[in-house]
Amino acid sequence: MVTGHGSRVAFLGVFLLLTSGCAAAGAYSATSAGPPKPIREVLPNGVVLIVQEHRASDVVAVQLWMRMGGRDEAPDELGLAHYIEHMIFKGTRTRPPGSIDRMIEGFGGTSNAFTSYDTTHYDFVVPVKHLRATVELLADLAVNASFPPDEIESEKKVVFEEMNLVEDDPDKFLLRRLYEVAYSPHPYGRQILGTHEFIERLRRDRLLAFYRKYFVPKNMVVVVIGAVKPAEVRSAVAAAFGKIPSRPGGRPELPPPPAIDASRRVDVSRPEKQAYLGLAWKTAPTGNEDIYPVDLLTYILGDSPSSRLNQAVREGLRLVSSIEAGYGAWQTAGLVTVNARLDGENVTKAEAAILDVIRKVRETGVTEAERQRAIITAESSYAFDIETAEGLAKSYGQAETTWTLEDEIAYLGRLRQITAAQIQAVARKYFGDDNYARVRFVPEGTAK
Amino acid sequence: MKPPSCRPALLGLVGLLAVGALAPPSAAGAQIRHERLDNGLTVIVRENPVAPVVAVSLLVKMGTRWERPATVGISNFVHAVMVKGTAKRSGSELAEAVAALGGKISATGDVDYSEVRASSLARFWRDVLGLVAELALEPKLRPDEVDREREWLLSRVQKRRDNAPSRAVDAFYAALYGSHPYALPVLGTPESLARIDHAAIAAAYRAGYRPERMVLAVSGQVAASEVLGEARRLFGGMARGGAAADPPIPAPVASAKRVEIEMPAQQSQILMGALAPPLDHPDHAAVKVLSTILGGGMAGRLFAELRDKQGLAYTATSYYDPVREPGALVLYLGTAPENAQKAESALLAEVERIRREPVSADELARAKGYLLGRYVMDRRTNERLAWYLAFYEIEGQARDLPERYQRAVEAVSVADVLRVARQYLGVLTTLVVRAR
Repeated sequence: MVTGHGSRVAFLGVFLLLTSGCAAAGAYSATSAGPPKPIREVLPNGVVLIVQEHRASDVVAVQLWMRMGGRDEAPDELGLAHYIEHMIFKGTRTRPPGSIDRMIEGFGGTSNAFTSYDTTHYDFVVPVKHLRATVELLADLAVNASFPPDEIESEKKVVFEEMNLVEDDPDKFLLRRLYEVAYSPHPYGRQILGTHEFIERLRRDRLLAFYRKYFVPKNMVVVVIGAVKPAEVRSAVAAAFGKIPSRPGGRPELPPPPAIDASRRVDVSRPEKQAYLGLAWKTAPTGNEDIYPVDLLTYILGDSPSSRLNQAVREGLRLVSSIEAGYGAWQTAGLVTVNARLDGENVTKAEAAILDVIRKVRETGVTEAERQRAIITAESSYAFDIETAEGLAKSYGQAETTWTLEDEIAYLGRLRQITAAQIQAVARKYFGDDNYARVRFVPEGTAK
Repeated sequence: MKPPSCRPALLGLVGLLAVGALAPPSAAGAQIRHERLDNGLTVIVRENPVAPVVAVSLLVKMGTRWERPATVGISNFVHAVMVKGTAKRSGSELAEAVAALGGKISATGDVDYSEVRASSLARFWRDVLGLVAELALEPKLRPDEVDREREWLLSRVQKRRDNAPSRAVDAFYAALYGSHPYALPVLGTPESLARIDHAAIAAAYRAGYRPERMVLAVSGQVAASEVLGEARRLFGGMARGGAAADPPIPAPVASAKRVEIEMPAQQSQILMGALAPPLDHPDHAAVKVLSTILGGGMAGRLFAELRDKQGLAYTATSYYDPVREPGALVLYLGTAPENAQKAESALLAEVERIRREPVSADELARAKGYLLGRYVMDRRTNERLAWYLAFYEIEGQARDLPERYQRAVEAVSVADVLRVARQYLGVLTTLVVRAR
């Protein structure tokens, strides 16, 4: 999958592209009683706990979400949040390097972690009998990570490799460059992986200082979802996380990035035989009422073979071999991206055709059938997300750290109430003929 | 790098590396209903109220187990053509119809079965089940689609041959199984695909799609009685095909052999293994534990010794997938070409060691925890739950197999591991792909 669609799904989709994972790999209720609700609780030291019984299988998802991400780095330490994500699994004061991965594997479980602009999260899924041990591990990682010097050095190769991999993949790289071109030097325009130069020089004291500054209780959100009783979870989390001393901390407000104008355009010469075209419009951030119609508009424009862009630009004009739209909603800004793979000679025509499709939505709006279809697609991706404990935990953790849990729970209900007129209105509000960023990958030797 | 999947068809089974069976409280509480329709088709429904989704798995007894070299790949080929259209709609209309339910549909061939699978929002369960029935019972099988799919399949076969790990796996199975059909690649060969024409596709479809050879499983936020009623309506009209028993397949014969191939690649591949018990054999659990101690994850001996300590391999793992006929226990290393010879000797030394010395109690406990944990982890989605229900049924297993299996894993002793290591790892087949 290349991009996510719709704000809450885009969180995930854009995650895959703009963030980096490091590691290897609803309670029972009568259907008529409505969906179960999570329990949210704030411990005295500021740690937020979100818990919900979810008996789809005998596992439990245990996740730590940090109100900290790439945007919190100083301009001269780009890549630090992501590097910490890699290092945190390497050991703590009482757990030697390698032992954490082995412990989780011995449970038959999995671990993973992701760094994004607004948040970072550390995820485990384990058979339910290992709940307590896993919560204890997570709390240990949150305050006692040891950052062994040897491991800091050897992990650099892994991160450099990750940087290369992103560059090798034109779809991923295009999206990253789009964010950079659209927003830089605002933090949302940063490379989450950071710069080679900074990572090369990175030393332990720098990592430790950042870790101590941001890994404080009020930045921590613990999400536990699975075949568990909330009381059992509360006691395990209170014991492990409740003892972390409360410390001042918190993050400065992030101003939104400035409006995008026509100067934000870049052409890149690339080895691929095909060209890539990416366009990006600044839209609604999380917490803004417009996210619902923008989400639906994104589905209508570029989600499926029957979407507008596919029908007009790929099937009708045959200007591109693939095209799709995605929506990444962040705390202070959203970005709707349209990207296409095509022959180099068609880039100008394809761009004009994309603008035509959007202009038509602005002028004549969308149909009721399109609106309903978009809602079903949104519902479906939500439903399959929450099918697993870890999927539901992810949506709660994301919501708590970048908007609110209540908004997340109410999301689908609000989406269903959006009218075709509201969708047209956001098309008019955000999508102009010249307020977009553009990145083109052109095959080497043909660049003008 | 990822371990090579054991032939594309076995992909679905890789998760089963961890078959054990912890009867979870949730599973105990789950409503599972079985029904055999009058025409012999089996329907299984699991009510899973947790999320508003539904998954359907329709398994049919068609696969390489029934194929011969001349027409190998035909089961998968039939299914590739089936999704290209039905009597009522084209392939793209079918894709659109299922997308409008917030779902997806696909079909593939495998070793012991072929599968049509679909999923959607739960409230559209009736529609998605209808689409599965339409695809399974009224496929169009158009001649031009047969030609188009053949081209696509040929390109996939070529891609598999160009990829060192997948080529190594195919060559290993060929060497290990000899004239047994498990030696054959699920995708087929360029020769067999060229030979399979529209008439052969249509005939294979008619021979396979008989109600006695089919199992339909549904899992999701549905009411079992309603689903059973709809399944009767959709599938009950299929005429009995006559329950011709499958001719027995002569068992493969173990013989020590070493095969070496050369191809341009970055890494050398080493596969070493032997015939192992089928999934319902009393030794299945013990061999599962043996496989896990050797190659289950980072604490497995191959990873810990050959990769971490000796630096002889990048990839070091093992496979033992549950199948109806004799299975295969496969130890796998991906290594730098200059280390290949040392790595092979070291791998052989690990085999000799586990046949000579009892494993430690710690290793045994870890392996069991890993297996039983993976078992639970692999049953998180309705798609997997539906597939498991249909899989055990199509393999003719008793319904309590998962529960018995879990107890069997827990009961495996140090002595059992030593015994099965001696019994099954005595005659080894080795396949080396040398990078040049």
